[in-house]
Amino acid sequence: MSDAHATDAGRDVSRYMGMTMQELDELRIVGHGAVAPHLLGRGGSLRAGALLTMIDSVGGLNAGLAALPDGWVVSTNLAAQIVAPSRAGPLRFDSGLLRRGRNNVVTAVEVRDEGAADTLVASGVLTSAILVPQNGPPQWDRPLTLDTRAPTGPSPVPPVPEWLGVRMSDADAIEIDLAPELRNPWGILHGGVVAAVVDLAAEHVTGGGVTTDVVLHYLAPNRIGPIRAVARTVGTRRDGAVLRVEVCDVGAARTTAVAVVTCATTG
Amino acid sequence: MTAAYPPDQHLLRDLRFSFDHDGDRTSSRAWMPVVEEVCTDTGRARAGALATLVDVIGGGLAATAAAPGWIATADLTLSVVRCARPGSVVEARAQVLRAGRTTVVIEVALVDDREEDVGIATMSFAVLPRRDSNPEVDRMRDSPSTMAMPHSRLARPLLDELGVEVRDAARGVVDVPVIDWSRNSMGAMQGGVVATVADVAAEAALRSATGEPVVVTELYVTYLGFGRIGPVRSTVDILAAAAARGTARVELVDAGAENRRMTVVYAVATRDLP
Repeated sequence: MSDAHATDAGRDVSRYMGMTMQELDELRIVGHGAVAPHLLGRGGSLRAGALLTMIDSVGGLNAGLAALPDGWVVSTNLAAQIVAPSRAGPLRFDSGLLRRGRNNVVTAVEVRDEGAADTLVASGVLTSAILVPQNGPPQWDRPLTLDTRAPTGPSPVPPVPEWLGVRMSDADAIEIDLAPELRNPWGILHGGVVAAVVDLAAEHVTGGGVTTDVVLHYLAPNRIGPIRAVARTVGTRRDGAVLRVEVCDVGAARTTAVAVVTCATTG
Repeated sequence: MTAAYPPDQHLLRDLRFSFDHDGDRTSSRAWMPVVEEVCTDTGRARAGALATLVDVIGGGLAATAAAPGWIATADLTLSVVRCARPGSVVEARAQVLRAGRTTVVIEVALVDDREEDVGIATMSFAVLPRRDSNPEVDRMRDSPSTMAMPHSRLARPLLDELGVEVRDAARGVVDVPVIDWSRNSMGAMQGGVVATVADVAAEAALRSATGEPVVVTELYVTYLGFGRIGPVRSTVDILAAAAARGTARVELVDAGAENRRMTVVYAVATRDLP
């Protein structure tokens, strides 16, 4: 779910990712994010889960602005292809509108590494459903500028698995608790965290594989926890393993997301 | 138009799909016999043909789940992990993941006749108000069933039947007419055929970029609008190209409708499927 909202509640995930977002033209958003040490994976590049969270944030904000004044949006489907590691930064996220329908909005996000000669890092498409929040859609000053970077503090920022509190609950599964700082402004698990959990489950099952392609369908909100992600290998190709990852809200006894992930397992 | 859909001479008949639908309205199965006409030059079922199977079984199940409303396909993704070769049969096992007020999500597992995974697919649909012209899905859920007629078969390779013309392989420029044989129930190019056009365009461009006989193994198709007039025209941006794998972004427009953007597709092509 996009986390852009007029209140400050539920912004911990955005602060952790440390993004800035700016509305350039109407319905065109540019975001920037650092390749911060706490977001790096085993290979020294930005974790796919962090990248997906940022894509969801920028694409979701763009979709939300497109939905105004009728409503705001909730992410329903995120697909992304990661074509190069992001090691330098800052990363630039360019989002444009592909379609604004009656019930949904489709936005595209392209990610480039400005510190690496503007290399293309990833491309993604986010589909969002339009809904009307209980208190109405958020009010923004336009053109919109958001800076979610946390103030620099003395304590080190934990890496993604520690921040999420990941437990390797089984050979094919991981779990996290639904901690308050992982919730979005609507009080449910942030959609970017769901993506990060999917990525970590794929990494766990493949023994350190790196996510290259993902489609993630958000089916229901995670409200209670713990959140469990179970990964099954569908098959293995020369370019990696294809996995099906199912995310469940164990406390609510329901499946909340299903993803298909391609994970490079060599080199 | 839709009362007689599909017509006697139609892609969905000639692919000889057969169907079986469970009574609980949350799952369906379909089978596609793999013939040489649906294969690439490497002798394996083309991703676009598998996407057509997925589109048909997923669309039918989604329409059932959305009843009394109707549906519009929003996206289709397909990951292929194993070759399906001529003489085999691919089974598509579809299940409803979500049936909400505005959205239906379907998952389709593809297996071969040895129960080996061939791939996995997902589809999303927007739920729309029903129109009189929409087909009655309950009538189509008589189990088991087939759209094939006694004479139905592909007389030529699928791409020839579709009228695919590769105009510029390196740039992935492909033209495909919108013909009655490949229309959907709304009169536009059928969704699986749209995926097939993207498959062909990506394959051509990625073979040129990699210098290898890669085949498309992943498709992420986002449907933005119908292709009603044609020709449907593709262009391809290569996002990454290495020896064993390439990634491309394909955009399809309806050239006959002032180049109206129809579809955005991300495709991955690889070598040496098991």
